[in-house]
Parts: sequence; C-alpha cells; structure tokens
Amino acid sequence: MKTTYDGVPGLVETVEAHDETTLVVDPARIVEACLHLRDGQGFNFLSDLTPTDYLGWGARGVSGYIGTAGGRDMHGPGTQGLARVPDPKPKRFAVNYHLLRLGADPVRVRVQAWLDDGEEIDTVVPVWPTADWFEREAWDMFGIVFRGHPNLVRILMEDDWEGHPLRKDYPIGGEPVRFSGEE
Amino acid sequence: MALARKLPLISDRPLAKAGLNSERVLMPNKGPGVFEEEIAGIEDALGITTVEKAVAWAQASSMWPDTFGLACCAIEMMSIVSSRYDIARFGMERFSSSPRQADLLIVSGRVTHKMSAPLRQVYDQMLEPKWVIAMGACASSGGMFNNYTVLQGVDKIVPVDVHVPGCPPRPEALVEGIVRLHEKIKAGVPPAYEIRGVAQ
Amino acid sequence: MSVVERRPAVYEGSRIPSPIPTALQVDPAKHAFEDILRINFGPNHPSTHGVLRLVVDLDGEMVAGLSAVIGYLHTGFEKTMEQKTWWKCITYPERIDYVSFQANEMAFVLAIEKLLEIDVPRKAIWMRMCLAEMTRIHSHLVWLGTSALELGAISLFWYTFDDRDATLDLFEMVCGTRMHTRYFQAGGLAEDIPEGFYEQARGWCKKMPKSIDEYEAILDKNAIWQKRTRGIGLLSADDAIALGQSGPVLRASGVDWDLRRDLPYLAYSEVDFNVPVLPEGDVYARYRIHMEEMRQSVRIVSQCLDRLEEMRGEPWISDDRKVVLPPREELHTSMESLIHHFKIVTEGYVVPEGEIYECVESPRGEFGVYVVSDGGPKPWRVKFRAPSFVALQATATCMTDAAIADMIAIVGSLDGVMGEVDR
Repeated sequence: MKTTYDGVPGLVETVEAHDETTLVVDPARIVEACLHLRDGQGFNFLSDLTPTDYLGWGARGVSGYIGTAGGRDMHGPGTQGLARVPDPKPKRFAVNYHLLRLGADPVRVRVQAWLDDGEEIDTVVPVWPTADWFEREAWDMFGIVFRGHPNLVRILMEDDWEGHPLRKDYPIGGEPVRFSGEE
Repeated sequence: MALARKLPLISDRPLAKAGLNSERVLMPNKGPGVFEEEIAGIEDALGITTVEKAVAWAQASSMWPDTFGLACCAIEMMSIVSSRYDIARFGMERFSSSPRQADLLIVSGRVTHKMSAPLRQVYDQMLEPKWVIAMGACASSGGMFNNYTVLQGVDKIVPVDVHVPGCPPRPEALVEGIVRLHEKIKAGVPPAYEIRGVAQ
Repeated sequence: MSVVERRPAVYEGSRIPSPIPTALQVDPAKHAFEDILRINFGPNHPSTHGVLRLVVDLDGEMVAGLSAVIGYLHTGFEKTMEQKTWWKCITYPERIDYVSFQANEMAFVLAIEKLLEIDVPRKAIWMRMCLAEMTRIHSHLVWLGTSALELGAISLFWYTFDDRDATLDLFEMVCGTRMHTRYFQAGGLAEDIPEGFYEQARGWCKKMPKSIDEYEAILDKNAIWQKRTRGIGLLSADDAIALGQSGPVLRASGVDWDLRRDLPYLAYSEVDFNVPVLPEGDVYARYRIHMEEMRQSVRIVSQCLDRLEEMRGEPWISDDRKVVLPPREELHTSMESLIHHFKIVTEGYVVPEGEIYECVESPRGEFGVYVVSDGGPKPWRVKFRAPSFVALQATATCMTDAAIADMIAIVGSLDGVMGEVDR
C-alpha cells in the first residue's frame, strides 16, 4: 500500500530520491504536520531530529568527476571533470525529522523544515517525547531555538560555552600540527 | 634492566623448558636494550641506596590503578584484567574507584575539555606517590581528533610517566607500558610530577 | 531544582515524567524538601558505563529526582568528519560506539554506497553480515560482563571477557586488529578472507552456545539476580515507542520490532533467525533478550559461514575503479588504472550530491547515519543517530519509584555506551 502524503498540513513539496521520501513542510505548521503524521498516518516513532547548516553550499564548484557502476553520462552537464555547482538551497538551516511507522507496514519518511538564521521553530516534544534531547543538541550545536521546549539548555558542550560548534562559520579548532600537509 | 644489572636470565629458569618463548629465551646472548642501558645509566647518576631500592620495589609491586576508563581504550584496559592478559600477576587487578586509594591513573580514552576538570580533580585527590599512564593516541596527543573539544594530549593537565601508543593499544602493549613503568620506578626515576614540576 | 508547574502527561497511562520527559523532578506531595539529599554520580564512577553524570535527589534510599548530564565525551565526530575525505571518514564512526565498532562502520559504509549507487559483491555482503553478528555477540558479552560485575556477579566478568578474547581473535585474523578494525570499504571489504578463518569460526560457533549456557546457569535462577532485576525499571510498550527506544530495550517491552527482519538490509532476508520478544519490560527481560540474541547471532554466523565457504575465490570488493583502488598488478599494465589509483589516493572518490538516512540494527538498537553530500570529496554533514543517546532519555521513566541500588541495574540494562551518547 503506497502511502500518500497529500493531507499533511503545511506541505510545500515532496522529494523522492534514493528510495526515500522527503516532505518539505512550512516550519510554522510543523507541529500540525507531525500530529497529522503521528495520529493520522501512524508514524509513531521519531528516529532522529537533526539540523543541517547549508552556509556556503555551492560556493566552491565541486568536481564533476562522478563515477557510478553504470558508467558516466558523457552528455550530462558537469561530467568530464568540469566544475559543477550543486543546486542552491532555499534557506540556511534545514531541520530534518526522520519518522518511522513501527508496526506491520513499516515506512520511513523525512520531514524537512527550512529556517534562516535567527528563525525559531516549535518543539515537537509534546508529539514525541524522545525529541527532548535531540532538540537540545540542535540548540547546542546549531543555535536553533525550539519554542516551547521545557529545558532548552546546553547538553554536549559546557554550560557556559559560547558559540554553536556545528555551524559552518565556527572553526574546527584544535592545534596546528607540524609537518602535516592538508587533510 | 635485569640484563644491565647482570641478574640471571630467564633462560636459566625452568620456564624455558615449559615452552616460554620470550625474546630473552630465544636469544640468550642478547645484550641489554637501549631502554635498559638508559635506566642503568640513570641509576648510577642518581646514586640510589638499598633502602630506596626496597621502597621502589614496594611501590612498583601491586600498584592499584584508578578506574578512569573514558572511551575505547577503556575496553582494552578492562581486558588486561581478564584471564588472558592478567595483570593480577602484578597485583594490579584491584582497580580502585576511590582516587584516595589509587596509585596509578591510567587515562584511557579521549579527554574532552569538559572532562578535563574532573580528571584534574581525580588526579589531585590521589595521594603521593602517584603515576599516570596516558593510554592510547587520544590521551597521549589528541589522537585522530584535532578539534574544538578534545584536549590535545592529557599531559597538558597532568604529568604523564608513560605514554602507550595505539588506537587502541593491544592489551599486551598496555602491559608493556605498565612493565616499563615498574622498571622506571625500580630504577629510581621519580614520578613525573617531580620531574615535570607541575603544581601539585 | 525548582518544581516546575505540572502539565498533563503525554497520554493516558504514560509514566513519562512531565514537563521534562527526560528528568524526574521532586514531587512535593511525596517527599518533604528537608529530606532530600542531592548526590552527584559523577563522570568518574565505576558503574556508570563511562563518563555519565547523574544528578540524583535522594530521599533515604528512594530516588526522588534524577537528571543526566552528558557531554563529557563529546569528541566532535560530526564536525571532524566534515574535514576529511570519504575514505578517511570511514575510520571515525567506529570509535563512536566503541563496543560494537563494526556496526557503526557498516552503517556509514552502507550509506555512502547507496549514494554512490555502487554494486557490492555478494561475498562482501555475507561477510559483513557475519562480522556484524560477531560484533553483536562481542557487544553483548561486554555488556553482560560489566552489568553483572556492577550487580555483584563479579566472576562473570572474567568468563565473558575470555569469550570476548576468542571473538577478537577471529577479528584479528580477518581484519588485522582486535578493535576498530576498519575492514569495510565503500564497495566491499578491504581484503580477502583468510583461509584459516572458516575452521576457527566454526570452532567458535560450537563453543559459544556452551558458554551462553554457562552464563545462564549462573544467573538465570540465581535468587540475588532475580531479586535485583525482576520488576525493576519497568518501561511499557507505549512509553518505549514514544521515547524512541529500539533494540533489546524495545523488544523487552513487548514490541516486536527488529530492523534486520522488518526492514532488511544486507542479506538478512535470506537467513533464518528468531527475534526474541518479552512483555515484562523490566531489567530481567532485557537480560533474557540479550542472552537469546546471542544464541540467534551464532545461528546467523553459522549460516553465513556455510554460504561464504561456497564463495571462495569470488571478488570481495566492487571493481568500480572510480571508487575502489585497482589491484596492484594492474598498475603495471594499464594507464587508466594508474590514473584511477592516483585520483583515489590524492583527491579521494567523490560521492554524488544527495542526502540519505541509513540505519542498521546495532546491538543497542537503531544506529542511524544521516549523510548529506554536496558532490565533493568530503562530506557536507554527517549525523549519527545513536541508540544509547535515546536510551538514556528513558532513564527517568524507568526510575519512577526506584531505589538507588536499582539505578545501577537500570542504567546498566539500558546498555548505554557514552561514546555514542556524546559523539
């Protein structure tokens, strides 16, 4: 039985790739969408809640040297080693919710909400309590504020740490190693 | 060290007949190694007396480690307690959770900046004499993690006597590190906090 | 810790604390504030399975409040992996859950293989499955040894670690090293399977069930073990799903879910194995599930060995030269191979643009990897969904009305490895 996602509130678009479905949802209606998916379509299990920072996406052309088992498409753009730039993303941060329908008819889906720096999103802790620490980690590592979260404090870094380490403009840190070229 | 001091070699003892294949059995004419010669040199330079030798022997025997397992190296550290690698032959199987009763701190695993405060606290609570083994690449130098959160070598906050390389070091490698520490002590080398001058 | 205004529970009958689902807060109706003693089960503690800090409010022996402080082992894996090429990245996931290292590596390699759309030869698939099940047994042995040690069955530590050494001997024979083997490549295995492996593995398969019988004989009906584990740390099925539990914790709460059977990867649909499920949801049920899983893993390993022995001489890695190093003999004769070798060693292979969430059934549950690639030689984002991170969130729910001695049993039974909690 193929699952259809037409009824999801706030759905902006559906992307299918690599056997996975990604539902891009308006962040203002994320709790409605999650409740619809949990109660209406049976996605009772939140596997993962993770943001991604797309700052600098496509700033450098990446090599088009892509090899697959089926060979290279000689006529496709970006092959033959030409520099190719990936498609731009709508906003800076994407918050991804990986959901699973746990039961007889298992299905996975990814819900994606796009945010700019400084935008907030509602917490889904009332929907799936497991989101508690995931959202705390998202706040700690990326600085994304989850409105309504009962305990939004640092979890992995020290309580008085400044900065959000997994952002792309945060340096990797560490010490310079002598006699070592680049990675 | 035994060779440098001209003690009888293991090959003179019955273990060789039982099939022990240690280096000194296989190569009975092997002279002292570089490490052993250095230790012997230090011994002469420091001029140790018999009482000090006896004290050093007592300190090196049955040194109780502290349970400071942090990450992957901790699993290999636990396996030296197991029957195959058996540090009970050194009297060291009693891992002490209380730092007050521990002599040896085996820092096994990556130390993060958040953990460095508890680590230093535990080290401070240990009573003199105390030794530190930095086990593994992460404890010795930060290992494969050169980033904002991993301390690049635990010797930045505690004075280290022996670094054991590996990721993780085999249990035999850790036992070798412990044996070298014992030989250091019996040779009269003071614990690292006296040499490195780290505030106690 | 001030008492926060109470909000209604998640659903009827839920024991999940509220408003913070992952922390117990002192209930003034049950405990007078003068009686509360706040204790720190600090990061350095013999029984907390690594660097976990629990801040516990005690009323005598009963736990009135609990919250976990983590982050003492936060190594910054995700950010570090963004700086390394894909080949070098494969070394990192192993150290995340350092007790079941091959499971983590496998999840990551499966994820990049999906993005690369590369074909993996069946020998590699079956060997990966074989090693994954051996890793499961290794992890359960370490769990059993340490958990039993904490509850007082000290001698079990030596028995299980002896069997663990036998398992690591097999890893050493195949992969070259005991732990953190780095044997899986994108496309297959790093090297062929050595000849002596099959015989030694079959000997190990004969011995393991006898060892498991021994452990069960020591613990199963032992009065102390039963008193300390039966009825302790209850977690209902609905709570377990709401809290995102997976693996033995979920199955011990009565939910019949196993990724190997329900969303199969590798060749799990072609082997016979049972998935143990128990309804009680207490520490004893989790222990029984671990023991039964070890037996089933031995079954899977023997089936894998049967199939692998037929595949002698087959290739162990894909022959897509854009991703896999060509065999050295070819470098002398083929110019293209030389160029491929050069490109892979210097720049590394590139993984096409895309994002993927790949998960495997690690010994602790659902270990997931979310990879975002921008089409370049280095990952753009890698996120690890660690089952222990989620399992620790359930500590507060399991600890409702528990004594402090039960806390050790419960935290042990949730099988947390701090490396993967903090990443």
